[in-house]
Formats: sequence, C-alpha cells, structure tokens
Amino acid sequence: MNAIIQCQQLAKRFGSKTVLQQLSFELHQGDVAALIGPNGAGKTTLFSILCGYLPPDSGSARIFGHKAGSSALFGKVAALPQDAQFDPAFSIGEQLDFYGRLQGLSSKAAREESKRVLALVELTEQLQHKAGALSHGMRKRAAIAQAFIGTPQLVLLDEPTAGLDPVNALHIRQLISRLSGEVSFMISSHNIFELEQLCNKVLYLENGQLKQHSGSDNAAQLQYLTLHLEQDNNDAISAALRQLPGLIDLHSAQRRELVLSYNPQHNADFDLAVLQCLAANGWRYRNLTKGQTLEQKLFNPA
Amino acid sequence: MARFITTLKHCGLYAGFELHRLWLTRRGLMTLAATAVLWFFLLRYAIAPASDLIGSEGFQQMFRDAFGAFGLSQLFAWPAPELAIYWILSLMLLPLLCLFFTANQLCSDLERGTLRLLALRSSRLSIVLGRFSGQMLVQSCLILLSLVATLSLAAWREGGLTLAMLNAAAVIAVNLLLVLLPFTALMSCFSAMVRSSRLAVSLAIVSLGLVFVLLSTFVFYFPDFLFLLGYMPGTQVMQLLPMQGWQTLQHALLPLLQTLVLLSSATFLLTRKAL
Repeated sequence: MNAIIQCQQLAKRFGSKTVLQQLSFELHQGDVAALIGPNGAGKTTLFSILCGYLPPDSGSARIFGHKAGSSALFGKVAALPQDAQFDPAFSIGEQLDFYGRLQGLSSKAAREESKRVLALVELTEQLQHKAGALSHGMRKRAAIAQAFIGTPQLVLLDEPTAGLDPVNALHIRQLISRLSGEVSFMISSHNIFELEQLCNKVLYLENGQLKQHSGSDNAAQLQYLTLHLEQDNNDAISAALRQLPGLIDLHSAQRRELVLSYNPQHNADFDLAVLQCLAANGWRYRNLTKGQTLEQKLFNPA
Repeated sequence: MARFITTLKHCGLYAGFELHRLWLTRRGLMTLAATAVLWFFLLRYAIAPASDLIGSEGFQQMFRDAFGAFGLSQLFAWPAPELAIYWILSLMLLPLLCLFFTANQLCSDLERGTLRLLALRSSRLSIVLGRFSGQMLVQSCLILLSLVATLSLAAWREGGLTLAMLNAAAVIAVNLLLVLLPFTALMSCFSAMVRSSRLAVSLAIVSLGLVFVLLSTFVFYFPDFLFLLGYMPGTQVMQLLPMQGWQTLQHALLPLLQTLVLLSSATFLLTRKAL
C-alpha cells in the first residue's frame, strides 16, 4: 500500500527544549488518523512540519513522496492550521475565491467553489461578510471550509471542533466522516470521543515521542466488550460475569462501567451470553459496546 | 518552466489582490484619502505658490547665482514650474513615506496566521514577489493620481497641457518608481522579519541610519572606500535632483540591482521563517 505520509526519525528542538524526538510513522491512502497527546506533546509542531511551516532539525517528512511544504503538494494537501485567521479587510467569499484562484481555478469556478465549501460548513449566507463580523465558531467553520477548496487528497485538521457548539461540531464530524473514503485525514484533537468516531489509526504523542501507533481492532485472539450498567457495579455482577465461558478478564473502568476481554474462538456469542446473564439476574444495562473505548486503550490499557 | 509560470501567475494574483485592497476596502480608501489630503496641502500651499515664485525672472537670477554651481538651475528647464517643485518634493518625500506605506507587506499576515493559509497554495517566493509587486502597483496609482493633480494645476495656470509637460510627467513617474523600488524591497525584508508593521518601520529607519553612520565612519578613516556610500538605497536621489528628461535613466541600474538583492534577501528570510 502506498504511504501518503512518511516520517523518518523526525526531530525538532526549540532552544533547549526538545519538542519532537526521532518520530517515525507512516499513513496510508484512506487513513483517518488521530493525533493525540497532552498539551506540549508536539502535536502542533508535527502539523507545522507536515504543512511545511517549520523545517525539522533532522529526519525527513515526505507527503505523496515529496518533501513536506514542496510546491508539488499545493492543492493536494490542505490544512486547518491552529489559530490561522482570515484577513479582516476582505469578505470570506473574496478570500476563498482568492485561495481558489491560487489553486488554479478560474474566477467563475473559484466563486462556485467558495459557495460549495461554505455550504459544506453551512455558512453559505456568510459569503459576503467580513471575517471580523463573524463569531469565533463561524470563523472556525470558514477556516475549515478553506481546507476543502479543490480536491485535496490529504487534509490535516488541528483541533477542528475546538470552540464549536455541539451541533456544529457534529456537522464537522459528519462532514469528515462523509469525505473520509475519498480523502485521507489527520486530525489532532483533545476530544477522544470525536477521534474514536472518526479515526481508524491513532498516533499518541507524549514528550515528543510516539508512544503508541495503532490501527483498528482486528485481533482474532482477544476482543473487548464495554458494558455500561444502570446501577453501580457490585461483586455479584462481576462474579456472575466471570462464570461466562470465553471470558479472559474483567475490570471496572468506572463505577458503572465494566470492560470484559474474551476469546471469540472459545465463545463466538459472548455478547449474547452477557446479555442473557444480565437479563436472568434482572440487572439493567445502558449500553453494550464492542471493543474498548479509545480512552481505555490509551490511558487504561487492559 | 511550469513553476516559473505558476510563480508569475501567483504574483499577478497577489498584486491584483493588493490593488483590490486599495480601491475596494475601507483601509485602502483611507490610504487614498490620506494621500489626497497630503497632496492637496502640498499643491495648495507649496507647489502653487512656489510655481509663481519660480516663474519670476528675479527669483531665477538669484537662484542661479546661489545654486548654479550645483546644477540646480536646471530646475527652470522643466516645461512647468509645478512639475519642477513636484519633482523635488516627491524625490525627497516619497522614499520616507514609502517606508510607512509599504511596511505591512507581510507583518499582519504573519501575526494573524493568514500566511499559513497562503503558504499551502503558493511558494514563499510568490508571496514575497506578489506582495512587492502589489505595493509597487499601489504606489504607481498614488503617484499617477498626484501627478494628474499637479498637471491639472500646471494646465490651469498655463492655459493648457503641452506634450512636453506630459513627457516630463512620464519621466517623473518612471524615476519615482525606480527610486521607490529598493525602499519597497527593503520593507519586504523587514516585514518578513517581524510581526508588526510599526516595528518594521522602526527597524528600517534605525538600520538605514546605523548603516549610514557606520559607513561614514569607515569612510572617514579609509577615504578610498567613499564609493561605498553610493550603494545606500536612495543615494541617486541627490544626483537626480538637478537632472531632467530621459537621461535620468542613467541612474536606473543601481536601484534595480539593490531591489534584486533585497528581494532575494526577503525571500530567503521568509523561507527560513517559521510560520
């Protein structure tokens, strides 16, 4: 499979502070990758290197086989950089038109493209308004819109839903989800729930190092169920569930949440067995999810 | 070749966008208004009265006696005294005004992060050249407007426009643009270095002053290197003052070379800069 992003031994320092250390990873066509890490982990620095805003001190970052920031990537790689603002002197439409023109569109096509991308983020009626007249959330959505001008093959989004209200955050997630087949994404966010919904690959950065680099769950030997109960977990529930055939381990992640690991080769209908066990004992549950949450995988590995 | 064409195309787009900023945004219209007010006062209280004075035989004789040795009596050879005064005033004033007018080529975009959006679509060379070309176009508009006003004043006093006046106006416009080229390119450099246009102006003024003082001191001890002072931006202004006609273009090479060097430096600075 062709790698669209190849980072090899990437390192970056700011003064005496090492921000990225020997970072190596690859992303492939169609991947929707989550970039997670605590504040100061190096996420924005990695984004900046991939966008060509910053040169790495050592190592290489190649996108579609070209050096990050190369002119060959104009129009192919789009991004929502953190805190980038539009020029307040011009309307959103004028600026999107201009970006379209820079990407090689004619005047007329650029105007149509501006309307299209603003419609994607439900801002069509703001075409004539200046950036300064828009709310923070609208400006953010307009900045997301610029990333979809033309036909980008890779979109890098730094905190795409930070500062958006829940409805608009949902729209942005739906947009990413809808486009994820044809476009590859790399998304940095602190919203684990959001990344879990959207991403099939996780890059977990901590102190400039890649702590985990994982794909989607496909282990044949070990699978997980996450059970949310309506009542607090107690010894009786745990004891009953421990009797189920195929169970490998059970632990309580939160007061009403249980994570069960099991071997599907020993019990293919383990989920049904769990539900039958709950029903037989009159214990009510809120939901039963296959797999672990991303939060559990990253911060409470079983 | 394709990259060269794309760079040219992008330069054109950036330059067009700057023209759009001048004519169709509030900030641009304020710039136009400020220029109009400045030139109104210059025309009303400096150029018009001085033209009457220059036109008088007595003043011309006195001036020849006082400054004839410097060649400044050539000023009387301009087809209209208004153009002679415009020539002197603009040669002296515009380089300084240019530092202020063109300081914000990149600063605000750097500060706001808008350059990050632009750098995903065009090279940093295109951004520097495009913004520079845009500023030159904007200054051309302002020069042409003020020249049209000066020509109107001359035509009103003389009772009509002559071909010689139009030719002289063209000479002035071309020379002023040549004089402004290195100053605009200098501001490309400083605006690529800092995130505030005020800081860019301060840096430019301090740097020019410092370089002049250091060079003068150096020349004081090593007089053989006097020629180095001739490479400072704007040094040809003093040589241009007593000249007129297209012969003024004999001083065009130096500002063109200075512009080339300064624009290369600006591109280098922006390319190395973290956005």
